[in-house]
Amino acid sequence: MADKGRIKKELTELSRDTKSGVTVEVKSEDMHELEGTISGPEGTPYEGGTYVITISIPRGYPFEPPKMKFLTKIWHPNISSQTGAICLDILKDQWSPALTIKTALLSLQALLCSPEPEDPQDAQVATMYKQDPAKFRQTAKFWTETYAQKSDGESAAISRLVEMGFSRDRAVAALAQAGGDETEAVNKLLSS
Amino acid sequence: MSLKVTIKRWNAVARWTWGDHVDGDVCGICQMPFEGCPPGVKFPGDGAPVVWGKCAHAFHLQCISQWLTSKNSCPICRREWEFESSQGGPPVSFFLLFQPTTHSFR
Ligand SMILES: [Zn+2]
Ligand SMILES: [Zn+2]
Repeated sequence: MADKGRIKKELTELSRDTKSGVTVEVKSEDMHELEGTISGPEGTPYEGGTYVITISIPRGYPFEPPKMKFLTKIWHPNISSQTGAICLDILKDQWSPALTIKTALLSLQALLCSPEPEDPQDAQVATMYKQDPAKFRQTAKFWTETYAQKSDGESAAISRLVEMGFSRDRAVAALAQAGGDETEAVNKLLSS
Repeated sequence: MSLKVTIKRWNAVARWTWGDHVDGDVCGICQMPFEGCPPGVKFPGDGAPVVWGKCAHAFHLQCISQWLTSKNSCPICRREWEFESSQGGPPVSFFLLFQPTTHSFR
């Protein structure tokens, strides 16, 4: 059975912490399902975004790592753009029981600052990161604006594509794929 | 110039503790104070002994033993775990607080 005393203690400390930019909310009565948020670090394409992470505490916690996944879509070499699965050593074989939910979330924030394309989770993103850094930044930034920011109205590009007769979902997906490039998105929509 | 400190008075303070290099006084695994109990243990002290590694990191015996079944490393510094065999000193240490009340320069 997971160590409830420790989880409780961690949650109390997290609720007092207003400085580190991470929050955790309890989602199930047994405290095994949690939801964390981290803010996109300044100076990265993720700046201004808020990322929701689902956290599942295994029975063996803290001897086994918490299971974490991005719920908010993100364009990053070490995070799947499809499923939100994370490739980070401390959430796998480098876990230590001296680490906590908070330190794990802070490590995710650090991962947003320094991607590790040599150990990718999403091959397509990693390839773009290495071969076309400018396009990578543009796409990551567009994904931040599209998926990780509180929507105060849609972007003008989405509205224009919807006016052209494409469904909103397809328009968003095409723009995301094209890194926000409207012409490329239209071409994608017309050719598919 | 030399500094001469004259100790006029000192207070001895005794404190129950497992030793004198316990990091932060909480176990790095269960995060409970060493004077308290790890999960599943009702009474502090004999039921929840504290052990040290050669790296000088300390944990409840129960806590580190459980971790060592999956990995032979210190949870804090990740060095290979080796029990410190000479767990120096009795579990009670005395901290002597010297309080110099006057000093003179010469
Ligand atoms: Zn412990
Ligand atoms: Zn150590």
